[in-house]
Amino acid sequence: MKLLTHNLLSSHVRGVGTRGFPLRLQATEVRINPVEFNPDFVARMIPKVEWAALVQAADTLNLAEVPKEPTEGYEHDETFLRKMHHVLLEVDVLEGTLQCPESGRLFPISRGIPNMLLNDEETET
Amino acid sequence: MPPNKPYAFVIYKTVEESKKTYATLNGKEIIDDLGQKIILYLNFVEQAQWKKLGLQALPPGLLVVEESVSSEDEKMLLESVNWTEDTGNQNFQKSLKHRRVKHFGYEFHYENNTVDKDKPLPGGLPDICNSILEKWLKEGYIKHKPDQLTINQYEPGHGIPAHIDTHSAFEDEIISLSLGSEIVMDFKHPEGDTVQVMLPRRSLLVMTGESRYLWTHGITPRKFDTVPASEQFKGGIITSDIGDLTLSKRGIRTSFTFRKVRRVPCNCSYSSVCDRQGKTTPPCLPESSKEAWQLEREHVHRVYDLIARHFSSTRHSPWPRIVEFLKALPSGSVVADIGCGNGKYLGINKDLYMVGCDRSQNLVDICRERQFQALVCDALSLPFRSGSFDACISIAVIHHFSTVERRVAALQELARLLRPGGQALIYVWAMEQEYKNQKSSYLKGSKTSHEDEEEINSDTSTEGLPVNHMPDGGSEDPGSSVPSAVNIKEEGCNPRKVELPVHTNRTCFHSQDVLVPWHLKGNPGKDKTVEPFGLAGCPDPSPVFHRYYHVFCDGELEASCQALGDVSILKSYYDQGNWCVVLQKL
Repeated sequence: MKLLTHNLLSSHVRGVGTRGFPLRLQATEVRINPVEFNPDFVARMIPKVEWAALVQAADTLNLAEVPKEPTEGYEHDETFLRKMHHVLLEVDVLEGTLQCPESGRLFPISRGIPNMLLNDEETET
Repeated sequence: MPPNKPYAFVIYKTVEESKKTYATLNGKEIIDDLGQKIILYLNFVEQAQWKKLGLQALPPGLLVVEESVSSEDEKMLLESVNWTEDTGNQNFQKSLKHRRVKHFGYEFHYENNTVDKDKPLPGGLPDICNSILEKWLKEGYIKHKPDQLTINQYEPGHGIPAHIDTHSAFEDEIISLSLGSEIVMDFKHPEGDTVQVMLPRRSLLVMTGESRYLWTHGITPRKFDTVPASEQFKGGIITSDIGDLTLSKRGIRTSFTFRKVRRVPCNCSYSSVCDRQGKTTPPCLPESSKEAWQLEREHVHRVYDLIARHFSSTRHSPWPRIVEFLKALPSGSVVADIGCGNGKYLGINKDLYMVGCDRSQNLVDICRERQFQALVCDALSLPFRSGSFDACISIAVIHHFSTVERRVAALQELARLLRPGGQALIYVWAMEQEYKNQKSSYLKGSKTSHEDEEEINSDTSTEGLPVNHMPDGGSEDPGSSVPSAVNIKEEGCNPRKVELPVHTNRTCFHSQDVLVPWHLKGNPGKDKTVEPFGLAGCPDPSPVFHRYYHVFCDGELEASCQALGDVSILKSYYDQGNWCVVLQKL
């Protein structure tokens, strides 16, 4: 699971609504997967990222500090873009857990795949 | 030690011996039975860890009688079997991929795993068997005289998937004589207990009661069995005194399985696995969300998990108009594929960030193997924050939901994910397989068709399940292809419920709610063996699974989308047997 994917995920346990984001990440196995750098692509991702959640996730993985917010003129800042490229697209969580911040419910990540299935009683319907 | 790999531990009495082994064997290349090169890798561990199996008992009702026939009888029985092909002989069965089979006494129907009780085969049981059966009756090993015989020949490497012999076809006592070689047979209880039983050469296995009706039995396809090393062990349960195991190379084993055809309805106390009593109550159109969820669990989720590999191998050609949709999206779009299956569309456009999700772990595993971002979840409860996606696709997914409420709820979730202005592409199977006088490729059975919703390699002569009429008046029809949606059965659904018809592949739909057969083909390979509900002696089992579909009528998908309120429909079209909609979030 890449950190950009983590940034999209939210807990859907019944009743939590928007308080289910972001999921607290805990990783026991992480791998770095080189991905071809495309500055244009990364630049387009930046505005879509929920920044605070990204900073928090990068922190738990002990990645080199991610800036608190995108620098001005980031579209042309190659250093910045390369760093974000690495954090968003090259870090792969293979084993770990995602925790709903509101209910505490844990979702496992196994072989890079988060399993977000809920029991019947837990789903919002 | 890398996880999810098999390891063998060897314990030596002295450190010197273990060092010598390491020096000699580590990194050594050897050739196996098939001429394949294998390199041995050894490593020292501080402690070999294993689970100690508690005391095990034979499954209730199971008995293994050693030396039930003499060596002379064994020789005679083996020589009496005429394996040569003779198409005029009804006892003949073609040599199979896995093992040779012959039947005596009654004719088999492999499609529905039962006997035709009105069509006894001429000749009955071979004479040579009758005297042996009499002897066993006298000795008290068996209580009833069987009238059906299946002879199976297993070469090393052959096996038979775990199964329970159909309750409605045969009486309680089922006996199996092992000739030529010993074998280890696996018995599994539905709650998970597994017992391995060694059947020595010339032994008679007697299965009654719980071991016959509730536990499955099977033989793992392999060339060696793990058995106790001590010479005192003759047969019975392989208990794990771990220090005392060795490999036993299999020889050719011929089994004579005798059964008595059942003439009265099964009345066992194991209704959960009884085809007469409970397990195959024909699936009906659900009337509550609980029933809907159960139907989908049984006839969508479970099936896809079982057929994942085979299914994936038939889903390799992306459909052009879907590719078109994806390629038209702006670079840097974040896209969700809801019900991504084997990830067919996740890599189409490298300028997109695509995340796939599917209900089937096994299908998501395949996406992961292909290096895509994918997760396991339910389409009715998508674990994404609202408005976080530029686009979504959902191809051939929503037609698996069994009530209109659930279909609309799935569409609602899709729409929720989109940011304002974001677009979603939805494809569902159409009731109308012929449109504007053009037959869809599904009907034409075209093998090059990319629109083929059904397996591309399917055997076009397959007709779905034949209707099986049982003469004893019991309603044991496992599934009817009668087009009418209403089928009132005494032992089936409640009279007011609508039974789901089984669709015949490559024909028009006669009903919107159907069960569509999938014939599992090919070796699942490293996946778990598939467990069809079948019989010993069922040759080359090709399991059939029924997937539930609600096929959509013209205009129905649009109407469901319009019910959403926060979307507008940009495009609506028909594409090779599917109704398609592009919608936009307002």
